[in-house]
Amino acid sequence: MTTVLVADDSETILLLMRTRLELAGYEVETAADGQEVTERVDPDSTDGPDLLLLDAMMPRKSGIDALRELRAAGLETPALIVSAHQDPSDADAPTDLEISGYVTKPIDFDLLLGAVAELTAKAA
Amino acid sequence: MLTAAAVIGVGHFISQRQDYETSIERSYQAEMAARVQIAQGDDSKAARRTIAAEEARRAELRDSISDDTRNTAILVGIGLIAGLIGALLLFAGLITAMRRPLEALVDAAGRLAAGDRSTRVEVGGLSETATLGKAFNDMAAELELEASERDQLDRMKDEFVLTASHELRSPLTSVQGFAELLMMERDSLTQRQVETVEIILDNCRHLVRLLNDLLDLARSDAGRLAIRPRPTRLGPLIEDVVRTLRAQTEASEQTLTEKIDANLPLVEVEPDRIRQILVNLVTNAHEYSPKRASIEVTARVTDAEVEIDVIDDGPGIPPAQMEHIFERFVRGDAGLTQRVGGTGLGLAISKSLVELHGGTISVDSEVGRGSTFKVLLPVAPPGAVEAPPSGPRAIAEGPR
Repeated sequence: MTTVLVADDSETILLLMRTRLELAGYEVETAADGQEVTERVDPDSTDGPDLLLLDAMMPRKSGIDALRELRAAGLETPALIVSAHQDPSDADAPTDLEISGYVTKPIDFDLLLGAVAELTAKAA
Repeated sequence: MLTAAAVIGVGHFISQRQDYETSIERSYQAEMAARVQIAQGDDSKAARRTIAAEEARRAELRDSISDDTRNTAILVGIGLIAGLIGALLLFAGLITAMRRPLEALVDAAGRLAAGDRSTRVEVGGLSETATLGKAFNDMAAELELEASERDQLDRMKDEFVLTASHELRSPLTSVQGFAELLMMERDSLTQRQVETVEIILDNCRHLVRLLNDLLDLARSDAGRLAIRPRPTRLGPLIEDVVRTLRAQTEASEQTLTEKIDANLPLVEVEPDRIRQILVNLVTNAHEYSPKRASIEVTARVTDAEVEIDVIDDGPGIPPAQMEHIFERFVRGDAGLTQRVGGTGLGLAISKSLVELHGGTISVDSEVGRGSTFKVLLPVAPPGAVEAPPSGPRAIAEGPR
């Protein structure tokens, strides 16, 4: 089963993401911030999540910082960054990081689920 | 100095005149005494000599005093002329002393009016011009302070709008997301519940549009509305916009057509932004025109520009409204806006975006005949090839 790790500091958004992704047939793990993500994901393990869906801005550790650490440790899992910014060029969009795409809020779930399907199919 | 001499001369003349009068009087008295002596019968030779001598003395005195008078008159004349010249020289000196600071002041006032709030003048010279200069500097300092406070307020306002529109997105995501979840189970909802959820979703979309528009305007104000232009073919872009919006126009039985020159050159634009402008213009034409109106989008090349026209045969825009049509929150007639879903920001943003591309946007309209919005965009340099977008892709909501 394909697993997606979703990180967001809003429980409501987590519930929404989990519901939509589970309805689409994915297994969903959640994290409240980037710190939890780096603790939970082992870059060397092969049975970790198939996709990371990280909010760009979170307390303690942002999704960007978490992904940067994991990439530095050798993680190759595809990752989508969720940003409240309308335009990835606005603020929290580093260019030095391997990111599969940006999801802007409010989320268009048709587009998001399409991207998730595409990225996890590649991984599988 | 000569004036002083003239004054002394006049004083001297007056004292001489007094001496002269005393002497004449004495002379008459002496002559009178002699004549009395003669009248009393003492016809002495001495008395007659006295009379003759006094007459001669008076004649001499008269000659001398008239010389004095002439000399004094000449002296006074010279003194007056010298005084006049002195006064003129003094004025010339004063004017020169005032002119330089005044010229500097006029210069500085010009620079201040042109917006250079840091302009100051050198305070000095006569006490009057120094006071004026100081007053000017105080005024300029105050203006500079006000301008910097205003700039800071402007920056705070821009920052606020950016942050607010950012912060509002998360709760909006939840509202819209859960309403969509409800709609996924529409089969188990009553008709009334479905309508209620549709209203929630409609308003979410409107809110998103408002947020996006406000964000664009705030970015534009802050000079942070950036575009990433690349050589682009306009034809497919216009066809796509027309295709997307046809469902809406067909619902109003309006006809929406496009007429695109076959040999349209590439333009140097950010396609998403041009799409945003066209969607805005066509949506306006659709929303402000009655049923069965016709809307046409044309594109042709003129010199170094491509001209895109969005033409409708709707009610037209009164001249008074046309002046302000590209200002924010300015919308068409209130009677019509009841069914118009826009934010009142579309044309203001379109104008910013067109200008950011180095183009122009204008409107031509006649009440009862319809309106034409004309967008001119610069042609891409020769040899340019259509380029795919660069950077990570954005998984965003549909057309803005």
